Amino acid sequence: MIDSTTNSRFTNKQLIIIYTIISLVCLLIVWELVARFTSASMFLPPASEVLTAFFRSFAEPIGQHTMLFHVGISLYRVAVAFLFATVIGIALGVGMGYSRLFEAIFKPLFEFIRPIPPLAWIPLSILWFGLSDTGKFFIIFLGCFCFITVNTYDGAKNVDPELMGAARMLGANERQVFFKIVLPSSVPYIFAGLQIAVTAGWSAVVGAEMIQSNEGVGWVIIRGMSTGNTVQIMVGIVAIGIVGFILANLTSALERRLCAWNAQKGI
Amino acid sequence: MERSEGNIKKKNPVLECRNVGRSFDSYDGKGKNEVLRGMNFEVYENEFLVLFGAGQCGKTTLLNILAGLDMPTEGEVYANGEKVSGPAPERGFVYQKTSLFPWMTVEDNVGFGPKVRHLPEKECKERIRKYLDLVGLTGFEKSYPSQLSGGMRQRVGIARAYANEPDIMFMDEPFGHLDAQTRYMMEEELQRIWQQEKRTVIFVTNNIEEALFLADRIILLTNCPTHIKQEYSITMQRPRDYVDPEFLRLRQLITDNMDLTL
Repeated sequence: MIDSTTNSRFTNKQLIIIYTIISLVCLLIVWELVARFTSASMFLPPASEVLTAFFRSFAEPIGQHTMLFHVGISLYRVAVAFLFATVIGIALGVGMGYSRLFEAIFKPLFEFIRPIPPLAWIPLSILWFGLSDTGKFFIIFLGCFCFITVNTYDGAKNVDPELMGAARMLGANERQVFFKIVLPSSVPYIFAGLQIAVTAGWSAVVGAEMIQSNEGVGWVIIRGMSTGNTVQIMVGIVAIGIVGFILANLTSALERRLCAWNAQKGI
Repeated sequence: MERSEGNIKKKNPVLECRNVGRSFDSYDGKGKNEVLRGMNFEVYENEFLVLFGAGQCGKTTLLNILAGLDMPTEGEVYANGEKVSGPAPERGFVYQKTSLFPWMTVEDNVGFGPKVRHLPEKECKERIRKYLDLVGLTGFEKSYPSQLSGGMRQRVGIARAYANEPDIMFMDEPFGHLDAQTRYMMEEELQRIWQQEKRTVIFVTNNIEEALFLADRIILLTNCPTHIKQEYSITMQRPRDYVDPEFLRLRQLITDNMDLTL
């Protein structure tokens, strides 16, 4: 059990790391055993083979590039799309949360687009943007923009009306109420949205790179599929998983820094 | 310090409440719930007025209307002769929940009013210093509200309202959330602050001791629809003693007159 009363040689932090490592090692052992000793071995390459191939991919190129380049180009695509999604998502979310008029205009449109999975846009995006990077930005953008908007909208809707009243009482005009109260008080919600969105955007990259591309982690997987190379597919999956894990941790670290005031709820 | 009736200038009221009533639509939307009815009273300069009544009797609704945060459905409120039509920095508000801006430091909270009104930088700084000193929080400028205790947060709330140098201060059960010990201390602090920086204060409470300890005048309110039952001028010498015979007599008198049914 992990709690503060545990009388142990390890601190809680150390314990959490130890348990995480144990869990990962168990997963690898089960994977290895299943792949080697059951009929699944036809479709599932053993863990040792995948990990070896994964580490080798940093030195030996898959296709024309090494893994670092594939990850880099995919990250670049996500970053561009994510930037657009952040700006538009926050503007739309705060606007809808604050202004009834804005809400009436954009909410129905937004609610219509929201449930459509990003992959459904692939055919259209090829027609509209051809095979350039723009089409990939478009797919990734759709994959993450909704999460940012929804969360920001929630945050702007949930601003304590007493705080807005207090600001008005102190002499703030509507513009000041918006920028000094509504926006900052939505920041924790916005960050929750960004955190989901960055992972969602990173998973949309595979779909986006299904559109004609010659590089990127998505391409590694698609390429592996068309050549029947299961090891290469798994290598791509492992790369996506690891990068996704790092991204999620980076955003939550950033949130802890920027929203320090929110650590304990003030009354 | 002796404060007799004569100290209060009866002639020009700072705030006038004229026949104010407030109804809300009932839940099914068909009927009306009347919360306030026929409120008539004046508040004079530098007077400490306590609106006293049992819980849930519309005291906060009344205070919001007086401050301009809510509009009456009947009657008018006049501040310095002008009709109140919305919130204004000439009126300061201290909230029960303190309602400090949690993402701002103490000094940014206190300086919020002067800053949004574009007072000169130097003036803002001076007011932050002055009013933090007044409430005894010098040294906590860079703290966030979540790092302060309940009593300290309410001190910030009082300093924030004072920093705009309003004509009238509204206080909505500001010590309602505090534990008994902190509450006694804050009542004494508020009395000290008020005597140091005189303002007209309208203070809402459901605690008779608090009312008697602080008030120049107590208005006793009845339950829904709320109207004025009785007014009491409190002329006891300050600082007051909770077990003074006169204090206890008034306490008994007012409590007996309270309307405890809902």
